[in-house]
Amino acid sequence: MKRPLLLAAGTVLGIVIALPAGFALLRPVTVLPRIELAPGYDLIDQTGARFTSEDVRGTITLYSFTYTQCRESCYGVLELMRDVQAALDTVDTRGLPVRLVTVSFDHRRDGPDALTTTAAGAGADPEIWTFVTGDSVRLQRAVRDGFGVFYEPRPDSVFRFSPAYVLVDGAGIKRADYRIGTPRPEDLVDGIARIAREARAQGVLHVAYEAAHFFACYSE
Amino acid sequence: MRRIFLIAVALAVALVAVSVVFLATRRSARTFSPETTALAPPMRAADFVLESASGSVSLQDLRGKVLVLFFGYTFCPDICPTTMQRLDRTTELLGSDADAVQVVMITVDPERDTPERMRQYVSQFNASFVGLSGQEEAVLAVATDYGIFHARVEREDGGPYTVDHTASVLVLNADGELVLLWPHGMAAEAMAVDLRTLMGG
Repeated sequence: MKRPLLLAAGTVLGIVIALPAGFALLRPVTVLPRIELAPGYDLIDQTGARFTSEDVRGTITLYSFTYTQCRESCYGVLELMRDVQAALDTVDTRGLPVRLVTVSFDHRRDGPDALTTTAAGAGADPEIWTFVTGDSVRLQRAVRDGFGVFYEPRPDSVFRFSPAYVLVDGAGIKRADYRIGTPRPEDLVDGIARIAREARAQGVLHVAYEAAHFFACYSE
Repeated sequence: MRRIFLIAVALAVALVAVSVVFLATRRSARTFSPETTALAPPMRAADFVLESASGSVSLQDLRGKVLVLFFGYTFCPDICPTTMQRLDRTTELLGSDADAVQVVMITVDPERDTPERMRQYVSQFNASFVGLSGQEEAVLAVATDYGIFHARVEREDGGPYTVDHTASVLVLNADGELVLLWPHGMAAEAMAVDLRTLMGG
């Protein structure tokens, strides 16, 4: 009588321990980590209209950073964003809107006209891809302090900067930060798709995603 | 005897494991209000130093209580007073548990909102609420860090300017980590339930 009881208890115990341990080790569900809050900002878009962090709340947003007069060491920022924009047609975002935002840190030269010209040249769909800039103080707060992107003007009006691509979810939380090497468009699109899947998950799947966050089952 | 001891230990370990998984998922998946964004594990929140009517206050100073953080301004015509009223109602619903909660309003209009004006404003809603202001640069830094945009808007009729701003409310745990995001318009009842859940009630 004792032995079957012990066996049953051991089995239950094994399952109970194996489930969370197995989840943590086998990582059946992976997520992009919740890194930190994305900065709140108040900038100006290529039409001259105010563009704020509230304008992209509820959307998955990919940020990039450059300036329109960039002629060397530009890291292919606009080309990569254009490729991501093109690839959005092929990704299932579960009905969630996706926005691309390119922030220019050259606020002196990148007024609405320059931004509009560059956006057109890059093939930006204005419904998806927005070019923005702002006054120097707010740019520094948002770009340098908020997104952690280094940029520095040189005397010859050329900027030194470190390229970065930041994915932010609909709640305004940074979920991915690509800044080592140049990411592939498919990596960025995959990140967007992952955020969308998680955002739309319900029931058991939602619990699984939360468990993935808890056990730090992060995507590579 | 030894076997019983081992079983007891194993059951205790199992209980802990189950509790960890249950709590990790329960917090964000089940018991918080549907409109709440729950963060488990909690996220780091940026430290700040601002001014209250009685001196400098940092995030470190506010640790030890659940912190409910709202960004607004005293000339705010609608969103701020309604949010503050809801937060007051929330603390009322919490009863004695409200002692473990600190509501803080940080101005997005430091030009007009002095620390003393902030104190007077928040006191209208609840004597325990704290109002913070500071230099424009300091306020901009805090707002940016907490994902809050704010922008001065001049009125066409020449009246006093208004300030557009993010109206969501942030909740930090007693360790100063970000745990909940509430969208604008959350009902007091829902916020009270969320806070009770957070505090393990």
